[in-house]
Order: sequence, then C-alpha cells, then structure tokens
Amino acid sequence: MAHPIEEEIQRELQEHKILIYGKGTKTAPQCGFTVETMEFFDQFGYPYEIINVLENPEKREVLTQMTNWPTLPKVFINGQFYGDTDVLGPMQSKGELKPVLEKAFQPE
Amino acid sequence: MITPQTITEYVRQVLTDAQVSVTDRTGTMDHLNVRVVSDLFKGKNVLDRHRLIYQALDEPLKDGRIHALELTAETTDGS
Repeated sequence: MAHPIEEEIQRELQEHKILIYGKGTKTAPQCGFTVETMEFFDQFGYPYEIINVLENPEKREVLTQMTNWPTLPKVFINGQFYGDTDVLGPMQSKGELKPVLEKAFQPE
Repeated sequence: MITPQTITEYVRQVLTDAQVSVTDRTGTMDHLNVRVVSDLFKGKNVLDRHRLIYQALDEPLKDGRIHALELTAETTDGS
C-alpha cells in the first residue's frame, strides 16, 4: 500500500500541469523564492498552482525523498520534477523549457 | 554563517576540479549565491548539476549554516 502522502502528492501532480510546492500560498506567499517562482511562470501565461507545505514537515520529507532535492520551492511540470527557478532559468535560456511547457498544455 | 573557503572545500569533495565563487546576498553569510564551474558537469543537465552541488552542501544546509542558496553551475567553457 503506497504511503498516503505519496498518493496525495500523485493526485496533486495529476491535477495541476504546473505545480509548485512552496512556503505560503498564492495570495500570501511566505518566501522570496516562492514569489520568484510565481513571477517566473507569470511570463508564460500558463495556469499554475502553489501548494503550501510550510507547516507540513512530513509531506516535505516525502517530497525531498521523492526528488532527491533538499529545498523548497519544488517545481513539477506535467508530473515531472524540475527543481526551481535556478534550474528553470538556464533551461529557458537554452530553449529547453518552451517545448516542455507546450507538451504539458497540448490538448490530448 | 559559513565562509567561502568552507563552501569551496565542501563542493570540492564532490566536484574535485570546482572553481567556486560565493556572493553574500543579505550580509549575514547564510543567504548565498554560489557559482560553481567544473568540467564534471559536462553531459549533465541543469537539474543534475544542481543536485551534485546540493549533495556536496548537504551538511551546512542541514545544520543551518546555509539558510538560502541560489546556484549557478557551468563547465569551464561556459556551457
């Protein structure tokens, strides 16, 4: 039986093509990096969701294990992990990000 | 609080040839911009390069000497 939190995460990943696990919420972000990530994605006009894990150490630990990535925010696109804006920025300038986003929002 | 020398030592445990430059973003030496240049990044995508740096800095991240990190990871030819 998979870990209930893992199931919760998998459901959330299915629901949101761009999903950011961070500190605070869309309307009340509590971390500069979470704001920076929102501003980054605002460039593209695609919808994204922030899920606040600031007060949820157990879920943060599961996410850290899943991604082998120690910090927040954690960005997922189309269910795939992409780190944070330190990764997405260089990917964008190398032209690697646009195809990923287009594929994610392609009509099935 | 951590010094650039200590950060370089940690990074070089994983990336032996690394050139490391550290910028203190808030004056408290724990919100840092760390730039790592190493040819061991060759053939690795951006995500895996950053994973190597996080692996190297795991201890000071866990014990709070480093609070926030912004990373740049390039090879010597800047790719």
